[in-house]
Amino acid sequence: MNNKHDSVSAKEALKLNLRAIRTIYATRKKVLALRLTKFAFAALTPYVGIRLSALLLDELAGARDPKVLTALVLWIIGSAAGITLIQSLLDRWHDGEQAGMYIHIDHIMSGKMASMDYADVEDTETYKLLSVINQSRQGGGWGLHHVTHNLNNLWSSLFSLGGGVALTVTLFTTPVPEGSGLAFLNSPWVTAGVILLFIAVSLAVPAMTAVCDRQRAKVVTRHNLSNRLFSYYGRYGDREETAVDARIYDLGRFCDKYNFDKTNLFSSKGYFAKLNRGKLGFLSTLSAAASVLFTGLVYLYVCVKGWSGAFGVGAVTQYVGAVTMLFAGSFRNILSELSDMKNNAYFLKLVFRFLDIPNRMYQGSLTVEKRRDRDYEIEFKNVSFKYPGADTYALKNVSLKFKVGQRLAVVGRNGSGKTTFIKLLCRLYDPTEGEILLNGIDIRKYDYKDYMGVFSVVFQDFRLFSLPVGENVAGKVDYHRALAESCIRDSGLGDRLDSLEQGLDTFLGKDYETGGIDLSGGEKQKLALARALYKNAPFIILDEPTAALDPVAEAEVYQSFDKIVGDKTAIYISHRLSSCRFCDVVAVFDGGALVQMGSHDDLVADENGQYHKLWHAQAQYYAEEQV
Amino acid sequence: MCKLARKYERVIPFHCLLMALLFVGQQLTELYIAPTVLSAVERHVPLPRLFLTIGGFTLLLLLLRTVSTYLNGFIGYHRITLRMFIAGLLNRKGCDTSYVNRFDKKYMDLKQNAGSYVGSNSGAAEAIWNTLTVFLQYLLGIAAYAAILASVSLPILLVIVATALVSFFTNRYLNAYEYRHREELAAIERKLWYVQGAASGDAAKDIRIFGLGNWLEELYQNALSAFRAFKIKSQKVYLLANVINLLLTFFRNGFAYAYLIHGVLEGGLSASEFLLYFNTVGSATWWITDILNTAGYLRTQSLGISTIREALEYPEPFKFEDGRPLTHAEGQTYELKLENVSFRYPGTDRDVLKNISLDFRPGEKLAVVGLNGAGKTTLVKVMTGLLDPTEGRVTLNGVDIRDYDRRDYYKLFSAVFQHFSLLPASVAENVAQDNEKIDEERVKDCLGKAGLSEKIASLPEGIHAKLNRHVYEDATALSGGETQRLMLARALYKDAPFLMLDEPTAALDPIAESEIYESYNEMTAGKSAVFISHRLASTRFCNRILLLQEGVIAEEGSHRELMAKGGIYADLFAIQSKYYREEDSHEQQA
Repeated sequence: MNNKHDSVSAKEALKLNLRAIRTIYATRKKVLALRLTKFAFAALTPYVGIRLSALLLDELAGARDPKVLTALVLWIIGSAAGITLIQSLLDRWHDGEQAGMYIHIDHIMSGKMASMDYADVEDTETYKLLSVINQSRQGGGWGLHHVTHNLNNLWSSLFSLGGGVALTVTLFTTPVPEGSGLAFLNSPWVTAGVILLFIAVSLAVPAMTAVCDRQRAKVVTRHNLSNRLFSYYGRYGDREETAVDARIYDLGRFCDKYNFDKTNLFSSKGYFAKLNRGKLGFLSTLSAAASVLFTGLVYLYVCVKGWSGAFGVGAVTQYVGAVTMLFAGSFRNILSELSDMKNNAYFLKLVFRFLDIPNRMYQGSLTVEKRRDRDYEIEFKNVSFKYPGADTYALKNVSLKFKVGQRLAVVGRNGSGKTTFIKLLCRLYDPTEGEILLNGIDIRKYDYKDYMGVFSVVFQDFRLFSLPVGENVAGKVDYHRALAESCIRDSGLGDRLDSLEQGLDTFLGKDYETGGIDLSGGEKQKLALARALYKNAPFIILDEPTAALDPVAEAEVYQSFDKIVGDKTAIYISHRLSSCRFCDVVAVFDGGALVQMGSHDDLVADENGQYHKLWHAQAQYYAEEQV
Repeated sequence: MCKLARKYERVIPFHCLLMALLFVGQQLTELYIAPTVLSAVERHVPLPRLFLTIGGFTLLLLLLRTVSTYLNGFIGYHRITLRMFIAGLLNRKGCDTSYVNRFDKKYMDLKQNAGSYVGSNSGAAEAIWNTLTVFLQYLLGIAAYAAILASVSLPILLVIVATALVSFFTNRYLNAYEYRHREELAAIERKLWYVQGAASGDAAKDIRIFGLGNWLEELYQNALSAFRAFKIKSQKVYLLANVINLLLTFFRNGFAYAYLIHGVLEGGLSASEFLLYFNTVGSATWWITDILNTAGYLRTQSLGISTIREALEYPEPFKFEDGRPLTHAEGQTYELKLENVSFRYPGTDRDVLKNISLDFRPGEKLAVVGLNGAGKTTLVKVMTGLLDPTEGRVTLNGVDIRDYDRRDYYKLFSAVFQHFSLLPASVAENVAQDNEKIDEERVKDCLGKAGLSEKIASLPEGIHAKLNRHVYEDATALSGGETQRLMLARALYKDAPFLMLDEPTAALDPIAESEIYESYNEMTAGKSAVFISHRLASTRFCNRILLLQEGVIAEEGSHRELMAKGGIYADLFAIQSKYYREEDSHEQQA
């Protein structure tokens, strides 16, 4: 990890950071402008107070003219009030504008996720990349969000540096009076030496801090794993889905091993505590010592010059204040921000690797004819498919053809390629070899969105959203209410809909609206079916649509299947082979290949075929009774 | 809390006191360094003396700063350890508490709140130590500052206290804007976060097929606008708070300047003394305002700690250590009897089970069938002692099971329930459900019986391969069917006298399902078993079938008996086997 860290050059780091700023603020330029103004103002104004207080002290130590004193005091408290007022106005303006910036950055990431090719969404490489990105963000705050911190700090330190220099120059240029015995301080060599010494000592601090940071970055993966283990085992007892397991298998005991271990990464006898008692503790102590030493040196130099009569006591406070802010503050901050930005550049590189994942799927421009007669034909021609990064084929040389209006059942054992077949058909993936034709034309040549319009799918792991029932069915905020309602009725959820006070506007779940309702697994499945019906696409694909249903509910779906599907083409995937009875064609997959295709009657008659095996595995228990 | 700290991490309170002392020491040193050195310059003391003064202060500061920096490096880990220990206790309570407590709203709320206090570094269980340290710092610091100021001027001290109080109360009122509107804000934020994340992750397929992107984006933009509108409104209130503060500062500093300058002109204060007192005014004001805030946090966090304690000490309706011990002896048989059992979930008005009597004989294989919501799972939970009947009783060999130590009673059961849980641990640990003592041979044997040998053999790390990808990134991913088999292997490993299977084949393909059925007799040999399934085919292996309908045993008997009876069971069987049967007759004709 550290090696990779070092591989980002300073130039590249700068580029990455600038690109990150552009990415974040591209659509929010006003926030950026306000932010820069606000921080510049905040960085410069403290010097006003330092300067005025110095004048006041000088007057007190010297002439003590009441008029001058009154004027100075009024200036001091007046300017302080004015500055605070302007600062508050800037804050208010900025904070109001920038509200939601944090989530805006998250949205850049999830927006990419929503727009990239499905093949990349599912790719383990993407998964790994994204989990490193998320973890480094959760663990160390690295990544895109981090850039805004760097920007704020670097920017204000730059201004603070300018202000500090302006108030400090005279410290070095004001000569010590001849005859004070300290005239050697006037030598430019001595002055240069002092400045170098200041720089050197103030540099020691960030240098040591950097060592500590690197050490911590090294264990960021372990750090995150430890957090995940804690959030699992530390809260195991809260989980609903494991509450029974916890008792029957006495799993509290299992968790204890993780929760009561004092040698955990974060515990008092763990890795971090040891590191901080030893090497890191020593280094950070040393860095604290250097910072105190620096203060001592500043006092020494400034006071000796003041003592010799170069300037008054007021100036002494001004110089001590300004030099400390300059070297121990802004100068050091600039350096540590720069090194921090360089560290973060490694993570930004990952972020951009993610954001730059190209949409590789060929996007054709042909429109899919919206044929009245819905006369479509699908053909798979020698289609083979490997999942990205896999060595084995998930689908091997599949050829088949089916026509609109047909009912196709797809059966096979777990892992035989049924779901992959569907994913290729819907163009979630493109075939590795071979082609899929719609009405004789390669599906890649159609406009993607247009082609998607041809299919409605109820996936086995379908997702509904914690949003209103009607919007879930329609997938829109403004939708055809009567149509949504009739689809819900067709899918067998009419009674449930009638029982809802707010009807179509009832929220599902409690994630979005706490007053939402919870549907049972079977009800959700029916709602997903309603969504598929609303889309009214020529092809409807149902993947294990009755898995969560009891026999009576299952039979209802079977009986109403023809009515539900109407003149559409239906593809039905199920472990319950009884469903093959009402399909025209059955496609049997085994080990990634299409091994049989034909009507149920023909297939079941082939005693050596896979279908015969599958069918009898299930049917024997029901058939016996008839004998 | 302190008691726990003494027992488990005794250094923590000591650290708090030490850090507070070191902090106040540093503050006072820094307060005095400028005026003292300045006064030396002003009085033009001999150079060596000036050096000595600066050197002395630097050394003192060096000592204080290095010690506190060093301590600061690791004291946090002691606090984390204690918090994790408390989280561990809460977790144990959650794992072990009488299952029925999970339906008790009061307990669940307590538990959830307590959980939030141990969930992160900022949770009360850890943060309270920091608050305590800060509170001590302020207490000591304010005492010191008050002493310094009282020596020059009581009026200034009074002005400081007055302005600090006014500032604290007005700010508390104004800054509480978000607090007062927290429900509104929470609702806005919840919506915003939900729609922000909705488009990513497992919804990818549906979003593409149904073109849901625009819908979710529109909702996101709406939620974002609502969030910003709220923030802009609250910023207006904060601006008012800032203006009040700057006015207070204006008057307090004006007064302090006037008073102290008067002291310089008339009372013989030196410029450096002026500096000392003026700086003291600034710090003291700030500290007084802040100690009030800190006291507020301390109170809130103490309430948090009480909540944790209340959750930990929540009463247990079941008997555990105070119950009769129960140990399973090899060859011991059990008869489980339900006597007029009714059950109703707490806070509901409907009996899920109604007056059920059942004699579950040793070694019997029982099937429980019925529609969704008929009460099948609840019945099994009553049998396993997870739920106690609202009326009636459950007896084991004639003894009411409520008299036993419930954890001993659970030991009699192996179960596969509908919810899967893969522990983030190795395959072997998952099968053995143990991370201390694992019989690896038995693990392999059970994996074999559940039909997983081949899969596990294909993994480079074999039974030591890690599971659960949410925690271990390089974990092995198992399919739904494989997970279900693993759950079965786990139940076999436990080898308890009762085996409860709730839909154990739902995710399996027909052949795999059939294999499980075929090995069912072997798996349950010598045990009493209960099998819940939607697939009526599975009931064939059972001695007795219970058909539940709306919480009562509507029919009972062997498959043959129930078919002959021609009742509900026969109807259900007819519905489910319709397509298979037609086929069968068809085949016979052929």
